[in-house]
Amino acid sequence: MSVPEDFSKRVEDAVKHPKNIGELENADAIGTVGSADCGDMLRMWVKFRDVDGGRVIDKATFQSFGCETAIAVASVATELISGKTVEEVLTMSGEELSAPLGPLPPLKIHCAQLVEEALRSALAPDIQPERPREVAPTLLQQFQSTTKKSQKIVLDALNE
Amino acid sequence: MSVTNTIDPNISMKALLEEYPGAQRALFRAYHIGGCSSCGFAPTETLGAVCERNGQLPMDEVIQTILAAHEAEAKIQISPSEVARRINAGEQLPLIDVRSREEWDTVHLEESTFLTQELMHEILSSWPKDRECIFLCHHGVRSLDAASFFAGHGFQNVRVMSGGIDAWSVEIDPDVRRYHLE
Repeated sequence: MSVPEDFSKRVEDAVKHPKNIGELENADAIGTVGSADCGDMLRMWVKFRDVDGGRVIDKATFQSFGCETAIAVASVATELISGKTVEEVLTMSGEELSAPLGPLPPLKIHCAQLVEEALRSALAPDIQPERPREVAPTLLQQFQSTTKKSQKIVLDALNE
Repeated sequence: MSVTNTIDPNISMKALLEEYPGAQRALFRAYHIGGCSSCGFAPTETLGAVCERNGQLPMDEVIQTILAAHEAEAKIQISPSEVARRINAGEQLPLIDVRSREEWDTVHLEESTFLTQELMHEILSSWPKDRECIFLCHHGVRSLDAASFFAGHGFQNVRVMSGGIDAWSVEIDPDVRRYHLE
């Protein structure tokens, strides 16, 4: 399943010149999602400013481990949400947050979800995304399995 | 032999994996689902529900991807004899062993590298996505999981040594001792 060339180009451009990357000092909110083991960890920092008695996002920054598309989506998303209220940002879907990159291929949809969830984690930490309580053995667990303590490795007899 | 050309979206993930053992690998390669705890699914969830909460994935396309998994996995296999031929020709292959440390310590190929957590992070963060990576395990199943995991992270040239190190012992080098787990 190949990724469209124009999408790859937009991601490449965003990764070459990422906006708002790195820790934000004195941030008002921080959200972290994903798993470093899966190569998809994302952390976002958000700082607010007061406007007309209300509060809007002054600046948002991010750090990402591994995935280029997540970097690209986070980069464009941090620009998109500047000046918006928390309520406005919380209504934005991953698709809206990644809109400047164009439609995401199916393989990359999780990257936009990661950014959406990191923002939710920062802005509404009490509302957790719906996740299964019991997770089936993952690919990572399956190929990183260790020999069980009850198991013995036995060398077979040599053929004559 | 009956030919199934569709899957009921209401099937549980547990039943799906029993019927299509390559389904999880296919889902991760194509949609980044089921690779680690943050993108995992519950055995009791239905395929339809998993697709719904992962960006409303198109059901028909997902089903076709799962049905085509066997063919996709056949394409990434590389035989021990082909690996041996390339090694003998002087190629420096990234031959990555995903077995447990205990199995590695018992027997391994000189040309292979043990997959540590550090190596995995290095591959994910800095290896070119088009670099060939050949995974091997004991019998060629765990290495399919590993290859799919890296394919799901954008690595376009992942391979699996068919039959694993056991096939190597039988077909290439009997000095590499065969073993089994008890």
